[in-house]
Amino acid sequence: MPYLDINNVVKRYEGHTALDGVSMQVEQGCIYGLLGPNGAGKSTLIRIINRIIAADAGSVTLNGKEMTDDDIAHIGYLPEERGLYKKMKVGDHIVYLGRLKGMTKADAVASMHWWLDRFDLKEWENKKVENLSKGMQQKVQFIGTVIHRPPLLIFDEPFSGFDPVNAEQLKTEILALRDQGSTILFSTHNMASVEEVCQQITLLNHAKVVLTGSVDEVKQHHKKNIIAVQTADTIEPNPELFTILPPDPAKRQGTLIKLDPGVNVRDAISWLNEHYRLTGFTEVLPSMNEIFIETVKSQKTVENNE
Amino acid sequence: MNKLRLIIAREYMSIVGRKSFIIMTLGMPLLFLLIAAVPVGLAYLNDKGSDVQQIAVIDETGRYAAALHSDDMYSFVALKGDTVTNAREFYDKANGSIGAVVIIPRDVDSTGVVNIYSEGTITPSLVSTIRNTLNDTIENAHLAAMGIPNLQEMVEKAHVDIDVRSIKWSEAGEQESSTDAAMGLGFLLSFITYMFVLMYGAMIMNSVIEEKTNRIVEVVVSSCRPFQLMLGKIIGVGLVGLTQMAIWIVLLGIVGTVAGSMFGIGSMSTGTVPPEAMAAAQDSGFMQDVMKQILSINYLPIILNFVLYFIGGYLLYSALFAGLGSAVDQASDASQFTTPVILIMLIAFYAGIACAENPMGPMAVWCSIIPFTSPVVMMVRLPFGVPTWQLVLSIVLLFATALAITWLAARIYRRGILHYGQKASFKDLFKWIK
Repeated sequence: MPYLDINNVVKRYEGHTALDGVSMQVEQGCIYGLLGPNGAGKSTLIRIINRIIAADAGSVTLNGKEMTDDDIAHIGYLPEERGLYKKMKVGDHIVYLGRLKGMTKADAVASMHWWLDRFDLKEWENKKVENLSKGMQQKVQFIGTVIHRPPLLIFDEPFSGFDPVNAEQLKTEILALRDQGSTILFSTHNMASVEEVCQQITLLNHAKVVLTGSVDEVKQHHKKNIIAVQTADTIEPNPELFTILPPDPAKRQGTLIKLDPGVNVRDAISWLNEHYRLTGFTEVLPSMNEIFIETVKSQKTVENNE
Repeated sequence: MNKLRLIIAREYMSIVGRKSFIIMTLGMPLLFLLIAAVPVGLAYLNDKGSDVQQIAVIDETGRYAAALHSDDMYSFVALKGDTVTNAREFYDKANGSIGAVVIIPRDVDSTGVVNIYSEGTITPSLVSTIRNTLNDTIENAHLAAMGIPNLQEMVEKAHVDIDVRSIKWSEAGEQESSTDAAMGLGFLLSFITYMFVLMYGAMIMNSVIEEKTNRIVEVVVSSCRPFQLMLGKIIGVGLVGLTQMAIWIVLLGIVGTVAGSMFGIGSMSTGTVPPEAMAAAQDSGFMQDVMKQILSINYLPIILNFVLYFIGGYLLYSALFAGLGSAVDQASDASQFTTPVILIMLIAFYAGIACAENPMGPMAVWCSIIPFTSPVVMMVRLPFGVPTWQLVLSIVLLFATALAITWLAARIYRRGILHYGQKASFKDLFKWIK
């Protein structure tokens, strides 16, 4: 049974449909990527899960039960557009957010101290938020999201605004939370981070799910039968087996060959082995970025043809 | 409920803890004192600071110049036998030491015209000094010229100044009613309501816009219902207002007690003053009247109603401000929505002033029943006594409308706080309500 089960959710606004029958299953303890171009409906879906807005149809179940308002205590949400009360003290602010999620004052204070310590922000506890650097504010924001140790965490573009060092720290924290059993829903454009941390993804486009599955499955499914071959001599194209692609200067992985339809990898490699001094080969899988762009673009052409 | 309390507490502390709140709370009474003190001070400076002005008087009749007595502003110097052309020469020769030349013509008795010449401006106070003095003197001279013995005394006796007192028949017997004091109290309550609603309405709106601009709002509404956040703000800011009012009342009490003990006004309200003393001391007699009037008002129902209208009016307008504030990204964009609201408030305020003239007239009655104007206008009518059915109707309407507006505002609010970018129009607001 999936931990978070989104079933046929529909949301309409005047003039347009933001979500058109979206379904998605998130297993407990996984990091799930919710992808899609701007305006695809990601934020709407996340707001529905957070019960900020209501769906027009469909259901959202958490741990097997239809979600109610009380369940928002079990969610930690870091919105894409985020901010803090500038005039509040760092400690008070974190405690306030924790208590809004239903923590007792004592628990919230203890947890606040633990997290400030972890992020080296201890001496800032009694400073006003506005005196913090942007990076520190982002950390405070993150603490405010996780202070109540929610079993479900939702991050909308969590790395935007972080410098590489802080982004790395954040990633470590997110993975640590996953290891402690939290389920993490991750909405992003940053495909590199998807490949690094996500196990499962769903790609939304124009209010619909266009792609879903584990990162490996999706990659296998989208592979283009391209092999990077390293040889001691130069490969000539073989019209019966493969064509040679222009080299990818960024990757320096040898000669890229694209197998003709119906040719399997073994035949191609054994043929190459016979005719050239083969030193190595790897199957090239598409990056998530390529899959993302390809899927979204192909949808556009389909629409244009309709 | 717990969340609502948290939100109220945060909202309250965020405003009360600010330096600007403390400055404002203590500064407002000072500002009022200053506003009251400036004209008095200026008048004092005017009296004391300026030099005594020399005024030449040419009295062609030879009878009236003596009546113009020099005071600390003007020193009158009578010149004899000069004509107008000579007066000009005299004025020029004086080289600025003379402020003006007054000429009382020979035929002043019949024409009643007196001229003042000067190269500079002739102040209204000089004109009125001369007019008042000569009026009395010439009038008396005329009376004397009639040759009727004791005429002057007879005229003075015939002079009356009617004092109209209104007495209200009530269960407690005859009661001197309190038109002036009632009116004053009405204005005061109406002004308080008006000020409070505008000031704190704007405060709520700013708080809503600030949360939106900060982008904190989405984090907060992922932990509570948007309605809780809005209601928490309204109650929190309302409590701030009450705190501020309480501080002002305490300050007023302290100032009043100090001033009272200094000027002995406190003792006025106790004990009866004998008629002779009253006649002797016109001023304190007036104070006594005012005190009597103030004490004759039945305060309990007025205060109860004031509280009811205050809450209703505040809820109505603050919800309106919160809803409208949620629709804009920054405070500078808010005016397109707030202008109509402020206009309604202004209408209510002026209607209140107009209704004081005729508290039972149709305008007063209607404006005190229509919910948008009733909190302000009814305050003016309350001290005069309002028929129960009107009160009940008005209060029921006010609270029903306040709840309806709160509901509508909440619907706008939950959409508005997440709406960024394109400026919302009234059309959008109606769409959000649906």
